[in-house]
Amino acid sequence: MSEARFKLLVAPPAIVSSAILVLLFIVLLYYSLPAIREYGLGLLASPTWKPVEGAPGEYGLLIPLAGTLVSAVIAVLLAMPLALASVVFTEEILPRGLYRWREAFVSMIDVMTGLPTIVYGLWGAAVLAPLLGDTLYKWLHRSLSFIPLFSCQPTTGNTILTAGVLLAIMITPFIYAVVRESYRQIPRTYREAALSLGTTRYEYVRIMMGMAKPAILAGALIGFGRAAGETVAVALVVGNTFNMPSCLLAPSYTVSSLIANQFANAQLYPLMLNVLVSGGLILLLIGIASNILGIMYLRRVRYVA
Amino acid sequence: MPDWRRVKDRLFTVVTVALALLAVAPLFHILATVVVRGGSVIVRGGVSFFTDPPAYPGSGELGGVGPALLGTLWLGLVTSLIGVPLALLTAIYIVEYRESRLARIARVFTSSLLEVPTVLIGMLVFLVVVVPMGRYSLAAGSIALAIVMLPYTVSYVERALEGVPRTYREAGYSIGMTRAQVVFQVVMGIASRGVAAGILIGVAKVLSETAPLLFTIGSARGSYPTGPQSLLEPGDALPLLIFQFAQTPYSNWQDLAWGAALLLTLIILAIFALLRLLFREVKL
Repeated sequence: MSEARFKLLVAPPAIVSSAILVLLFIVLLYYSLPAIREYGLGLLASPTWKPVEGAPGEYGLLIPLAGTLVSAVIAVLLAMPLALASVVFTEEILPRGLYRWREAFVSMIDVMTGLPTIVYGLWGAAVLAPLLGDTLYKWLHRSLSFIPLFSCQPTTGNTILTAGVLLAIMITPFIYAVVRESYRQIPRTYREAALSLGTTRYEYVRIMMGMAKPAILAGALIGFGRAAGETVAVALVVGNTFNMPSCLLAPSYTVSSLIANQFANAQLYPLMLNVLVSGGLILLLIGIASNILGIMYLRRVRYVA
Repeated sequence: MPDWRRVKDRLFTVVTVALALLAVAPLFHILATVVVRGGSVIVRGGVSFFTDPPAYPGSGELGGVGPALLGTLWLGLVTSLIGVPLALLTAIYIVEYRESRLARIARVFTSSLLEVPTVLIGMLVFLVVVVPMGRYSLAAGSIALAIVMLPYTVSYVERALEGVPRTYREAGYSIGMTRAQVVFQVVMGIASRGVAAGILIGVAKVLSETAPLLFTIGSARGSYPTGPQSLLEPGDALPLLIFQFAQTPYSNWQDLAWGAALLLTLIILAIFALLRLLFREVKL
């Protein structure tokens, strides 16, 4: 096969692969335009969701957008300590001799990354939600209801907080992977310099984590992007109710779960499909933006030894 | 007078270990729940769990997940037929012409697909395939899954090809091989393990995906996809069945969801185990 024919074989697939992202962006934008034209900024700012058959209904994405942000932020806040502790556990606390234990722990995290999200969702709906609803939420409401976030009476386990907790479990392995990779690259000279000062393990880890700070931020951003885009697991536990997520103990909605529930039948209602696609476009932008920012932070991790 | 630095250090160690164990604890609870609840359902259903269609909702009967299991296998096969060649050739282009503008674009754009929520892939395929065709089909689902597979397999294969030492290529060229011969006979041969890992990881990822199937394959609970002609018909898949049955109030359908979850988990874990056997250091 000549060089020219070889190129003719491999270039078209490369073009097709590159075109998918472009096509996705163009198609989402194209189908969003009617909704953007009709509702303008109200698309982002209005909390109303009133489908009407045969005429454009009133649609605003404020509640699902807020739900996506709140659940993803809760997820990152809860996942961060778990992921960082896991990094310290495998890299600093487990003695070098116990490398089999370390391998086992890392394998478990790997399996968590690969476990189907629908399995998390099924477990979340059947086990986690009832458990949190019966115990933690009742207690939070009883003891802390003076805080607005916990002021509403919990009626079910399917709440925005449950979505956040389940997402935290799901994104911890991703954050762990990002931070661990960077943490391991800290040069030996820095480690020795810190140890030579006679630091305790706590002081030593604080110094090392300070050096890995850009990677920690990157992990948070990438985890946030994952959490914001997760669909089926969230749809099973978030409650799917148009309810502002100002109180965490009430059911709410996220953009992705709204799409999962309504998109298949959206063509029955004029413009609903377009509104949902514009929600999808926002998810796409959140996903790409958090990833680009994350990569920029990762690039800053340059240890000069 | 206690040594506060030591106390703090001890406290830190205890809290860290506790949090690390808490991070992996859900895995055990999930696996245990799936094995116990799904296992009892599969034992109750016996062989018919794997072959029968679901029984009527709310009836005392269980039925099975036959069509969904078959659908998942078809989806895996057809997705691989579309996705694997596309991913391999793209990765080859990226590595062989790494200085070209297209290679740089292809690398960035395919890896960005990793950050695209998969529900949007389903949306895209719904708008550009399902609507023009006028119906849901397993083929549409396979296209969506092939797009999901692409970034994983491309990045893995790309790294595998990059890892082949330059000297092997030079040896190939020095005996008068063309670029095609060097790539397909020398480089791919040396990198075959990495290439296989990339394909297996891609397959594992797509078999466990639900969101790209929501608006693409329909949910034809009763029909068995028997041959290629079934690909243009609506079908079912294990993850989709779990998602939809979990939301119903019928206990026999919820039971089927748990059985299907165990089945799906076992399929995925089997692929991971195979990867571990074949390759030492694999990042999933």
